[in-house]
Amino acid sequence: MTATTPALRTGLSTAIEATRLTKSFPTGRGRRRQFIEAVHDISFTVESGERVAYIGPNGAGKSTSIKMLTGILHPTSGSASVLGRLPWRERRALTRQIGTLFGQRSQLWLELTPRETYRMLGAIYRLDTTRLRSRVDELGELLEARELFDQPVRSLSLGQRMRCELAACLLHDPLVLFLDEPTIGLDLLAKQRFRELLVRLNRDRGTTIFLTSHDVSDIEQVAERAIVINHGRVIYDDRVAAMRRELLATKIVEVALSEPIAFTPSQGVTTAEASASALRLVVDTTVRPVREVLDTLLTIGQVTDITVTDPPLEQVIAEIYERPRT
Amino acid sequence: MTVAKSWASVAAVSSARRAGRDPIALAVSVGFFAIVASVIATLWRTAAHVHGGSVAGYTAVQLTWYLYFAEAAVTALNPRQIELTGDDIATGAVAVDMLRPASVVGLRIATEFGRCVPRLTASAVVGSGLALITGGAPTDSVGLLLALPSLVLAVLCNLAAQHAVAGAAFWVRDARSAWFLYQKLIFLLGAMLIPLEALPHWLHRTAELLPFVTMAYAPARLASGHVEPPLLLLQLGWLVVLVAAAVAVFGAGERRLQVVGG
Repeated sequence: MTATTPALRTGLSTAIEATRLTKSFPTGRGRRRQFIEAVHDISFTVESGERVAYIGPNGAGKSTSIKMLTGILHPTSGSASVLGRLPWRERRALTRQIGTLFGQRSQLWLELTPRETYRMLGAIYRLDTTRLRSRVDELGELLEARELFDQPVRSLSLGQRMRCELAACLLHDPLVLFLDEPTIGLDLLAKQRFRELLVRLNRDRGTTIFLTSHDVSDIEQVAERAIVINHGRVIYDDRVAAMRRELLATKIVEVALSEPIAFTPSQGVTTAEASASALRLVVDTTVRPVREVLDTLLTIGQVTDITVTDPPLEQVIAEIYERPRT
Repeated sequence: MTVAKSWASVAAVSSARRAGRDPIALAVSVGFFAIVASVIATLWRTAAHVHGGSVAGYTAVQLTWYLYFAEAAVTALNPRQIELTGDDIATGAVAVDMLRPASVVGLRIATEFGRCVPRLTASAVVGSGLALITGGAPTDSVGLLLALPSLVLAVLCNLAAQHAVAGAAFWVRDARSAWFLYQKLIFLLGAMLIPLEALPHWLHRTAELLPFVTMAYAPARLASGHVEPPLLLLQLGWLVVLVAAAVAVFGAGERRLQVVGG
């Protein structure tokens, strides 16, 4: 596969655009009929070739949003455009340009081998035999799954099956990939491999990636940008790196010592862990600059190593979720 | 349908045929068909002998061929297809089909048809063998030949009707239990267990106006040696109507699909 400029493939600089998208679901019957708003007034834009994580707690409206963007659900109000098409009106045409993977719903037939399913999908997507064969070979190589394509789906492990699922949704070389919790249930190694594949796909083919996940590592390792949604509303939208920097003005300082020191925490500094040979401090940079803390440490003791890190992303996301609803 | 769409359906059928070729499941299903059809055919042959050799214009031989073909047409399909399709709609599993550039109902009918082809073929072969051994040679081989395309049309009519009924799940929370009533209607108004001519006059006339006769009676009547090509035209006509109904129900239903969460 050769590297491709995203806009060159799509012909559009914007891949996805949601404008005041709202979706309500009815519950109950007759007089007890009520409407629950799953998605409320959501607006965002995703550029061609971007890797975006769409995150939020359970019930936040992530899957509902993806289903509207892929044309499965009709919104109650608002509009959306995916590759210049209105998803719920032009669903069939759009499905030729997008790939969708639901981690909890399989598109492979359990009774068949993946290759047999690909043959069926190839006919549905109007790929001729030669093109289909070369595409399956190409994907087998990319996903390191060639040997899996001829095994019955029911005999594959979850990690192996997910690679075959990804091949199924990439068969027609989609411009935008919607992934709804794609790594759910995978073991650590399989998750890592899957994430690398997504990044490679984005770099090599310019495929726009729009991903939902509860796994922070998916966001850290795949996405460049995060859109956080809660109670059906977008509550944060920025680069993943900026999200960490801006939201928690804290730094973790870990110090290795050659001999014990008498360190008294000052304002803005708390001791998370302390032993004779190590110290772990949490520094609130709005109160005290990290440099000042480091200077103090270097002055009072025999420091053999110092590491300064950002707080874990889980903490950042939890902080966003806990923000009061406006 | 464009050529490409037709090809998609053919591909779906072909892949599904491989899926329906599980030898154990096939053996169980055909074995069940053979036992049930043999018991019913024996009862009707006995009734014919008691009534001086025929019942409602059918001889014992004709009744034997009739019942094996009526059973083969109906049992080739999963009897709870309405429930399965209704479940897929209610749980949102149908969303995966909606992400394909093809008609959702068209693909589902094509794949289910493909899945039942091995069962239909095996039932027709085993049923013909048993009818030959227990009843005797068919009274008219042309009728038997016409019964073969009629079996295919019977299954397609049945599938289209089941999808049209199952599509109610887009509106009603539980449309799945309709399969039980539907099955009984095929048994009675489709003349699967009792030939149409043996029904009371008013019920016979009512049944003729309904699509169920295309699903069991048509191939059974032809296999019993009645060379009546208009039955094939009747099946084709109903197939067009039933597919149109299924497409309309799914088309309207897809617009109001309510799937909450992943």
